[in-house]
Amino acid sequence: MIFKTLFSQLLSRPATNKFPAKYMPKSVTKFLSRVEAGKDQIHPPVPVPPKFRGKIAYAKEKCIGCQLCVRVCPAKVIEFKPEEKKIRMHVARCAFCAQCVDACPVGALSLGPDFLLADTDRNSPNLIVE
Amino acid sequence: MGEVFEVPIGPIHPALKEPIRLTFRVRGERIVGVEIRAGFAHRGIEFMGMRQGRNLIQVLYLAERICGICSVSHPIALTQAVERAAGIEVPPRAQYIRVIISELERIHSHLLWAGVAAHELGFDTLLHLTWRVREKVLDILEELTGNRINYAIPIFGGVRRDIAPEQYPKVWEALRYYRGLLEQLLDAFLNDPTVMARTRGVGVLEPKEAEEFCAVGPTARASGLPKDVRQDRPYLAYSDFAVKAITPEDYGLTPIGDVYDKIVVRLLEVGQSLEIIEKALEDMPEGEITSFPKIPALLAHLKKAEGEGLGWHEAPRGELIHYVQLVPGEEAPLVWKVKAPTYSNLLSWRPMFEGQEIADIPIIAACIDPCICCNDRFHIVEGSREKIVAKEELLRLSWEKTRRISGQRGLRDGGKG
Amino acid sequence: MSAWVIFGQAVAVLVGGGVVGLIYRGLDRKIAARMQGRIGPPIRQPFLDLGKLLVKETVIPKTAVPWVFSAAPFVAVLASFTALLYLPVGPFGPVLEGHGDAILVLYLLAVPALAMALGGFASGSPLGVVGAQRELVMVMSYEFPLAVVLVAVAWRLSELGISPAFSLGKIAGHPLWTEVGPLGVIGLAVLLFVLLAVTPAELAKIPFDIPEAETEIAGGLMVEYSGTYLALFYLADVVRTVVMAALVVAIFAPYGIAGLLGLFGAAATALDFLFWLFKLFFVMVVAVTVVRVAMARLKVDQIARGFWLWGTAVALGGLLLLVLDKVVMG
Repeated sequence: MIFKTLFSQLLSRPATNKFPAKYMPKSVTKFLSRVEAGKDQIHPPVPVPPKFRGKIAYAKEKCIGCQLCVRVCPAKVIEFKPEEKKIRMHVARCAFCAQCVDACPVGALSLGPDFLLADTDRNSPNLIVE
Repeated sequence: MGEVFEVPIGPIHPALKEPIRLTFRVRGERIVGVEIRAGFAHRGIEFMGMRQGRNLIQVLYLAERICGICSVSHPIALTQAVERAAGIEVPPRAQYIRVIISELERIHSHLLWAGVAAHELGFDTLLHLTWRVREKVLDILEELTGNRINYAIPIFGGVRRDIAPEQYPKVWEALRYYRGLLEQLLDAFLNDPTVMARTRGVGVLEPKEAEEFCAVGPTARASGLPKDVRQDRPYLAYSDFAVKAITPEDYGLTPIGDVYDKIVVRLLEVGQSLEIIEKALEDMPEGEITSFPKIPALLAHLKKAEGEGLGWHEAPRGELIHYVQLVPGEEAPLVWKVKAPTYSNLLSWRPMFEGQEIADIPIIAACIDPCICCNDRFHIVEGSREKIVAKEELLRLSWEKTRRISGQRGLRDGGKG
Repeated sequence: MSAWVIFGQAVAVLVGGGVVGLIYRGLDRKIAARMQGRIGPPIRQPFLDLGKLLVKETVIPKTAVPWVFSAAPFVAVLASFTALLYLPVGPFGPVLEGHGDAILVLYLLAVPALAMALGGFASGSPLGVVGAQRELVMVMSYEFPLAVVLVAVAWRLSELGISPAFSLGKIAGHPLWTEVGPLGVIGLAVLLFVLLAVTPAELAKIPFDIPEAETEIAGGLMVEYSGTYLALFYLADVVRTVVMAALVVAIFAPYGIAGLLGLFGAAATALDFLFWLFKLFFVMVVAVTVVRVAMARLKVDQIARGFWLWGTAVALGGLLLLVLDKVVMG
């Protein structure tokens, strides 16, 4: 029956992608600084392909304030700042559809590879792009 | 005989992946009747899509999130509906890319279903095995579209991303991987004695019943009805592929319509999808990928558009239909109606459950591949009367409640939409 | 032997049985996970689970019958731990040798199953009732082959003049493989196979875990149990695994290896004890772990029919072979 698969899997590595550390460190920032100093190991996260739709990046100097991105965003992520004619984006609501990237006529928007965006405060600096 | 008592399964139950309530009347272990109550996953998506202030491009992403497993099927049906209503042409290369992404999604969905069915049978090893091999197709989709689920590929007038020449070898490699694996999967599922003991003769849907209850998709095909939208009403580029509906006869079996046949149909469809993708990659025409590269032009064209359009697609679960009605000068559609394939398959649960045992409930519930989140109907039960709530009354009721809550909390009135 | 010595031995066996049971449960989960391509929980996980359950709130449903619901876990734990006292432990005989035999062990193995069923009936939940019904049907079906195996072995021993033939100490002291002819060896192998097939049914593991079917009735007869009561049932389950494995080893493979290696005295005893623990582990892997990852769950009518017809027929066939062998040997 299925015994061949079972025994070959028993003797090979598990298919699971591991967490960065085996046990939750008491302080994540201290752990990461120790990793950088080379004193601790981290399992790197699975690499993302190019053109992955992650956190949005904004090239502010290119923006002309046409508001096309505001019109096409399905999640009302983008807020227009009329006094500067630039935008502010609330990444906490973003659905990562990249429609704003396609709509922008000057290519001021792009989606980068960041996806570890969990936070407890939706207005934290990591989640506001402007 | 023993007395009849009621066993409620759902809305939250380990056997169900999504909320639906099935109330069984059982005598000992035998089921004598079932009542289906859906509507627990209603989110008002069509209502949101038809609101003022939304344009069709926003509606597209709303449609994509109706479901996570059949995620590209909804935008494909919606884009076809709007393209028919607004008279937008789609270049051939875009059609081919849409076909490729649809078929990749079909592979992913069927492998997911196979794992879920194995889990319902208590065979967790097959669950982990099929989901492990499903990672490959998700990786390819991530490579092509940027995300594992919710691919954001179709847009009105074409597709948003092309398949670059350096991505072709990766797709070929994934196809080779699956070709090599298909035999093992068929063997693991179809030749295992315990799986056969649990699925043969269980949940039988006879061809006459499938016809009467308008079953669609693999549910109907397993009963021997050769119904496939890609074959009956070709759309996109499917007319170039001569897709034939797969029935258990393609595996050499006489169709009975039980759960075993459904496994056969779905696994064979994985093979069929592999062939379609190979052919699409080989015959891919050159050209543009969208008729409207500039978004403002698209938005302007859609605002002027008038008419109604029907879009259909053979989702992994069956025939999916989107209907839109556009009026000139309005960006939001006047009417948007989604008919999910599970909606047609829900009723076929009744004949399937009759005379079966309680132990068969999870596998029969899973065998039509229910995607409850695609169903958007809504029921209110007052006492024992049932009525269907239309848009206006739903709006009025929700405004009343918002006013009530705002009044209780002393907030400003925010209910006028 | 003085009562204090026996008492000390009993405490050692009871505590040891619990600890070994939990460790083996951890190993079972780890090996099953690796076979499925997963990492699996750490081996000490059952200890953590037991500790966590003991500090959680114990909920007694309003529709339950409180005294039955609360008594069932205690009955289960008491019965399964008591069974440990009548089994040979490695090179030592049973702690309560002479006070109870294999028939008592069989009875004590059935009591936790019945206690779980009573608890399911008393839980007031329709899913619990369904699970309890299934447990009773399953118990009724596998007891017959199990009894046939034991009766066959005991009969053959009594033919050799060993008495009392049902005493586990005697059974373990006289393995039958070398005392029977070729027909008898085949008969014993058949009986071993039946006992290994009954083991997952006794312990309610896949393919026979229909009373607790997770995807069907959300835990079945255990669905309403939580906190301390669930911890007690968990403990009863791990100890029953040890008891079943020890029963298999005592009847069919009670050999030690210290003699082969030429060791004597305390070293021999220690080695034999460790070897016994390894044999328990091996039986558990073969009869519980591998089977549970390689098969789907069978339905209760398939199980009942399977054990009543096929299980009994095969077991009786094994008994018949033993009888024929005796006749042939004269």
